[in-house]
Amino acid sequence: MRSLQRISAAIDRLNDRIGAAIQWIALVMVIVGSFNAIARYAGRYTGFSLSSNAYLELQWYLFSLIFLMGAAYGLNHDYHVRVDVLYARLGRRARAWINLIGSVLFLVPFAFVMLWISWGPVANSWAILETSPDPGGLPRYPIKTVILVSFFLLLLQAISQIVKNAEILAEPAGGPSAGPSSGSSAADGPGPTAADDPGAAVDGPGPAVERD
Amino acid sequence: MGEVWGPAMLLGALALIFTGYPVAFALAGAALVFSFLGMLVGHFDPVLLRALPDRTFGIMANYTLLAVPFFIFMGTVLEKSDLAEDLLETIGILFGRFRGGLAIGVIGVGALLAAATGVVGASVTAMGLISLPVMMRNGYKDELTVGVIAAAGTLGQIIPPSIVLIVLGDQMGVSVGALFRAGLVPGLILTGAYVVYVAGVAIVRPEAAPAMSAESLDIPGSELLRRVMGSMLPPLVLILVVLGSIFAGVATPTEAGSLGALGAMALAAMHRRLSMEALRAAMNDTTRLTIMVIFLLIGSTAFTLVFRGLEGDLWIADLLTDLPGGSLGFLLVVNAVVFGLGFFIDFFEIAFIIVPLIVAPAQILGIDLTWLGIVLAVNIQTSFLTPPFGFSLFYLRGVAPESIPPTTIYRGAVPFIVIQLIVLAGLIAWARV
Repeated sequence: MRSLQRISAAIDRLNDRIGAAIQWIALVMVIVGSFNAIARYAGRYTGFSLSSNAYLELQWYLFSLIFLMGAAYGLNHDYHVRVDVLYARLGRRARAWINLIGSVLFLVPFAFVMLWISWGPVANSWAILETSPDPGGLPRYPIKTVILVSFFLLLLQAISQIVKNAEILAEPAGGPSAGPSSGSSAADGPGPTAADDPGAAVDGPGPAVERD
Repeated sequence: MGEVWGPAMLLGALALIFTGYPVAFALAGAALVFSFLGMLVGHFDPVLLRALPDRTFGIMANYTLLAVPFFIFMGTVLEKSDLAEDLLETIGILFGRFRGGLAIGVIGVGALLAAATGVVGASVTAMGLISLPVMMRNGYKDELTVGVIAAAGTLGQIIPPSIVLIVLGDQMGVSVGALFRAGLVPGLILTGAYVVYVAGVAIVRPEAAPAMSAESLDIPGSELLRRVMGSMLPPLVLILVVLGSIFAGVATPTEAGSLGALGAMALAAMHRRLSMEALRAAMNDTTRLTIMVIFLLIGSTAFTLVFRGLEGDLWIADLLTDLPGGSLGFLLVVNAVVFGLGFFIDFFEIAFIIVPLIVAPAQILGIDLTWLGIVLAVNIQTSFLTPPFGFSLFYLRGVAPESIPPTTIYRGAVPFIVIQLIVLAGLIAWARV
């Protein structure tokens, strides 16, 4: 159990590092997007084109990086929306069961299926060193590879969630009272952590907003 | 076979969603479970699943969806750098000398700022935090206070540039610019109706909506002018320029969004409010919401793919095009279902799960999709206001002080629900004329 906990904590740290890094992409994306918008007008009125397909594609590459790289980080911090009309009324153990079963039955198989069926297209993209069909566009194989990375990270994070929720279920019944600090490992990583997301840890007593 | 598998999968997916497991992955799970079951009985060809990487890539390269993080960024910068608070305060001072003026200011700010976020939880929470204390301090009756804030917080669902209209445009295959244009008039009518109601209350029951106290209004004219020029006009101009450039066809929503985000940062910097803290908060919100919305879309794409593979879409189309009353029957059923679902699931889930299924039947019945999108938006907005489950009320309860019981919040929402229903009925009647 101890080594499993260490693995889980390491996964959380990895995804939190990634999460802290991708926040900056949002800012870079705004700058690239504004540049593209301005360049299109500047080009139209001066006849001198600053813009290029590379910059236009860069903006959706950045967009893709945010959600592909961030999905696992989001799972760790409970950013993925839940319908909490029932969930919010459940106790700590019942929630742990839902998260455990959901991870095992849905998330892990989904991540596996996505890795399995994406492998071929991505390998193919590398084989032909696929590049944008538009002149001056960016190579496609790196960004397509990120799809694999995304679901691999998601798979890792699902494993971490399984460990953490199993831990809750292994506690003696009526064990530690559901305190707000039960998100054992969510606060380890750098960047935005449980400190500025009260209740963000998936195994905490609930999302920041609870229906009751 | 769609008549069996369609309802089974739809109900199965809803049941999984209601367990509280993250919707994106519950939908993906439902897709896997039902593709496996379908495969066992030979009704589903697993080769269909191979379309998923390509669909995912389509979402990545989707130019329309790119506008989503830009508008979130713009909205959160305005909010986190306290520009929104300044705006409300200034409008409050400007109109606060009249009875009901402060409430009207809140509605105006809601219409403007929620326009840039469009996530009901975020806008109601922000509006509540900013305006609840001010209105209570100035002696507004609790019911009116919470009603105004809950209603103003939902205005952003329909008033452009709301991000729900962007995803709706993407899901319905209609231009976002057209949806923005179509949403503007009903949005302004709603805003106007709210204002008329508040003015009516101020006239009939002056004690419910008092004017601000003389001392809080007692600032020199030059100071007031400085505030109007400094705090009120710039964000107004920013939002008008963003919308104007989209409506004039000068900029795409994506371009306007990125420039709007840059403009919001420039405004914050001008007020020396672009702190590292505000910037980080904006980046964090943008990241968080982008991950949430896009993965929800990926999960529901898997769901829709399998649902179609099992011919559930044909079942829905048959069901909805065979209703008595033709397109009116369709509208009634779809609106009733969406209204009911709106109690439990947010706009994004409805846009990603339900909307793709009703687009084809709507086209068969000759219903204008842009108009349908706006009707659905007003409908969901009404649903958010309806007790006891409405999202807007629920989030407001999260920020309201203990002294305001839930029943007060529910009662406060009633007049605004009536306004919503009148506008919704008008919208439907207008299209049928």
